[in-house]
Amino acid sequence: MEFIIGILLLLTFFGLAYYCIKGHNLMIGFLVITIAWTVLSLGGTAVSSADFLASNPVLTDTTLVKMLNAIYQSAPEGWGTTLVNVCWGAWFGRVLMETGIASTLIRKTVELGGDKPMVTIALLNIVTAIIFTAMTGAGPVIAIGVIVLPIMMSLGVPKAIAMFSFMESVAAGIYLNPVNFAQYRAFFIEPSEMEAFTLGWYAGKWGYAAVIISVVVATVLSGIFLKTSKTSHAWAAQTRGAAEQKDAPFYTLFLPIVPVALKIAFDFSVIGGFVIAGFLALFLCGKMKGSFAENCQLVNKLYYDGVVDTAPLVGFLLTLPMFNKVASYASPYFKVVLGPVMPKSELVVCVLFAVLLGLGLFRGPMTLVGCGAATLGVLSNVASFSVPFLYCVFAIPTITVNIGSCITQSWVAWGLAYTKVESKDYLKLSIPCAYIAGILLYVLTMVTMSGMGPEWFI
Amino acid sequence: MTKERFKELMQPIADGLFGKQKPYHMQQGTPPVVRPVGMIVEDLCTISDDEWAKYAFSREPLNGKFTDEQRVELTRKAMACGREYAERVVQEQGVRDPEKLAEKLGMKVDYPRMPQSTDRVLFAEFREPNKIHIYMDGVDKGEVLFAEPGVRHALTAQLDIKKLLLGHELFHWVEEKYRKEIWTRTYRLRLWEVGPVHNDSTVMVLGEIAAMAFTQALNNLRYSPYVMDAYLVYGYSPEAASALYEEMMTFAGRTPRLPEELEPA
Ligand SMILES: [Zn+2]
Repeated sequence: MEFIIGILLLLTFFGLAYYCIKGHNLMIGFLVITIAWTVLSLGGTAVSSADFLASNPVLTDTTLVKMLNAIYQSAPEGWGTTLVNVCWGAWFGRVLMETGIASTLIRKTVELGGDKPMVTIALLNIVTAIIFTAMTGAGPVIAIGVIVLPIMMSLGVPKAIAMFSFMESVAAGIYLNPVNFAQYRAFFIEPSEMEAFTLGWYAGKWGYAAVIISVVVATVLSGIFLKTSKTSHAWAAQTRGAAEQKDAPFYTLFLPIVPVALKIAFDFSVIGGFVIAGFLALFLCGKMKGSFAENCQLVNKLYYDGVVDTAPLVGFLLTLPMFNKVASYASPYFKVVLGPVMPKSELVVCVLFAVLLGLGLFRGPMTLVGCGAATLGVLSNVASFSVPFLYCVFAIPTITVNIGSCITQSWVAWGLAYTKVESKDYLKLSIPCAYIAGILLYVLTMVTMSGMGPEWFI
Repeated sequence: MTKERFKELMQPIADGLFGKQKPYHMQQGTPPVVRPVGMIVEDLCTISDDEWAKYAFSREPLNGKFTDEQRVELTRKAMACGREYAERVVQEQGVRDPEKLAEKLGMKVDYPRMPQSTDRVLFAEFREPNKIHIYMDGVDKGEVLFAEPGVRHALTAQLDIKKLLLGHELFHWVEEKYRKEIWTRTYRLRLWEVGPVHNDSTVMVLGEIAAMAFTQALNNLRYSPYVMDAYLVYGYSPEAASALYEEMMTFAGRTPRLPEELEPA
C-alpha cells in the first residue's frame, strides 16, 4: 500500500511542478500541496504495512496532533529568524538608494570605462555584483536597473545584451548575500544547527569563487554576444531614474560591503551590520539633517518601502517551511518508490543536476524558490549528503538559473517590460549562460564541497 | 490615520501575499500635477537651443564630468555639426524630405506597432548597418493629441512625427558613415590618466543632440525635437509627461507653470 501512496505523492509533485510553471501563485500552490501531502502521509499510516511503519519511526513515534503542530506551527515559526533578515536587508537596500550611494557607485564606474563597451560592461558587472551582495529585493534591482540599463544602451549595447549582462551580475552578487544565505540555509537545517556552517566559511570555500565564476561567465558571454551583434541607437524618453541626483561623498561608497564584510570576517550579526552601515550612510550623506521627527519619518518610510519590496516573497517564505516539514513525513513513501533510482554518489548528483539545470527555469523542480523545495525534500530524505554539499547543489539552479536567467523572476519580468526585450530573446542569451556558469559551478562544488566529514551531516 | 488610508497602505502587502504573481512595479513618490498637453508643448517650444543643454546632458552617462558652461558649449557645437551635415546630405541627395532621403540612402525602414511601458517610452531605433524602426504606437497616440487645444498651434502644421523620428535616426547612419571625421565622433573627453596610461572617450549625447538638430533642419521646425520626449510620452501617461515637463523646464532655468495658470482662450 505504501508504494501506491508513494506514487500518489509523486503525481501531486508533478502537479505542483505544472502549477508553478504555469505561473500561478506560489504561496497558494505550496499551501495546497502541503495539505495534500499531510493527508497522504499521515493518513497513509493507517493502510501501510507493519514492516514499513516499524522501519520508519518518524511516522509513528509521536501523536497526530504533535505532527500537525510541527508542520503548521513550529515550521513557519522557525523561519521567523530568516524573515527578519530579509526585512532588514530590504531596508538597507532602500537606504543605499535614498542616499545616492548605489547610483554614485554606478556613475563613477562608468566614468572609468567611458565609451568602450566591453570595459564599461565588465566594470559595471563587477560593481553590480558587489552591490547586490548587500541589497535585497526587487526595489533595489529596479532602482539600479533604471540607471545601469540606459547607460549600457546609450553606449550602443543592444538592449537584450544590456539586460542580460545586468541581470546575471545581480544574480552573481546573490551568491554572497547574507540574507539569501540565511534564507536558503534554512531549507536544509534549523538556523541554530551546524554552527560551523557560517557565511564566512562558505564564502572562503565556495562563495567567492562562485561570484567570480558567475561574473566572468556573464561578462565573457556579453563580449561574445556583442561581437556578433550590431550596434543600435534608440530615441527613447526616460521618464524615471534620469533625474539629477547629488553624488554621495566618496568615503561612503564602501558602505555597501560593510554588512557582508563584518559577517564574513567576524561572523558579526547581519542585522547589526545593516543598522550600522545604514545609519552611517544616512548621516554621512546628510539625510539626517531634519528635525528628529522628520528623521524618524524618513527611516520609517524606508523601512515601509523595503518591506513592501519583499512582500511578494514573504507569503511564500512562510508557507514553504510547512511544506519542508511535511516532506520529511512523506519521504518514507518516496524512499519506497524512488529509493532504488535516486542518485547516492555526489558525482552522480552533480552530473545529473548539471544536465537538468534547465528544469530550474519557470519555477521548475530544481529551484528552491519554486518546486525544487519538493525535490530537496525527496533527495535529502532518500539519500545522505553533507549539508554544505546539498546547499551548493541547490543554490546553483536557484540563483544562476531562476534568479538570473528566468523570466518568472519578478525583476527580470520588470526588465523585459522596461527595455522592450522579447522573452525569447532574453532566454536565448540567459540559458547558454546558465548552463556554462552552472556546469563550472558544479565542477567547483565537486572540487571544494565533496567528500566532507561526518560533522557536516545531520 | 483614516480607515481608507490604512487600507491603501496595506494593499501592496496584501497583494504580495495573496495576489497572482505579476511583474513588479515600484511605487513612486507623489505624482506630479498633470498639465494640459497644450500648455506643455507651448512652453517647451519656447526653450532655446542653449537651454536644452542641461536636459540633454542629464541622459549622458559621463554627465558628471562636465560643468554647465561646457555643457552649453558642447551643445552648440553638436547642434552646428548636426545642421552642417543636414545641409550636406540634402545637397548630395537633392531631397530634404526624410522619407525620400531614407529611400535614396538605401535604408530599410519599418513601422512596428509595439505597446510600451511608461518607464521608458521607445520612439525609434537605428540598427547598423541600415535598419530603422519607427514605433507607431507612440506616433499614433501623438497624432491623436493634435486635436487637443493649443497643440497644433505650438507644434505647427510643419510637424510630421514619423518624419521627425526618421530624420533623427538617419543622422546615426550619417554619423556612422563619416565616423572618422564627424565632430560628434572625433571629440574626445579624457576620463583619467595615470602617467602615460589614459582613457579617452567619445561623448554619446553629442550624437543625440546633433541628431536632434539634424532632423530639426530636415523638417524645418522652429523648436527642438526634444519637445517630443514629453509630447509623445503624454499619449501614454499624462503624469509621466508632466514630470518630464517639470524636469525640462527646471533644467532650462524656467519655472514650470501649473494648470490653473493657463490663460482663458
Ligand atoms: Zn538617437
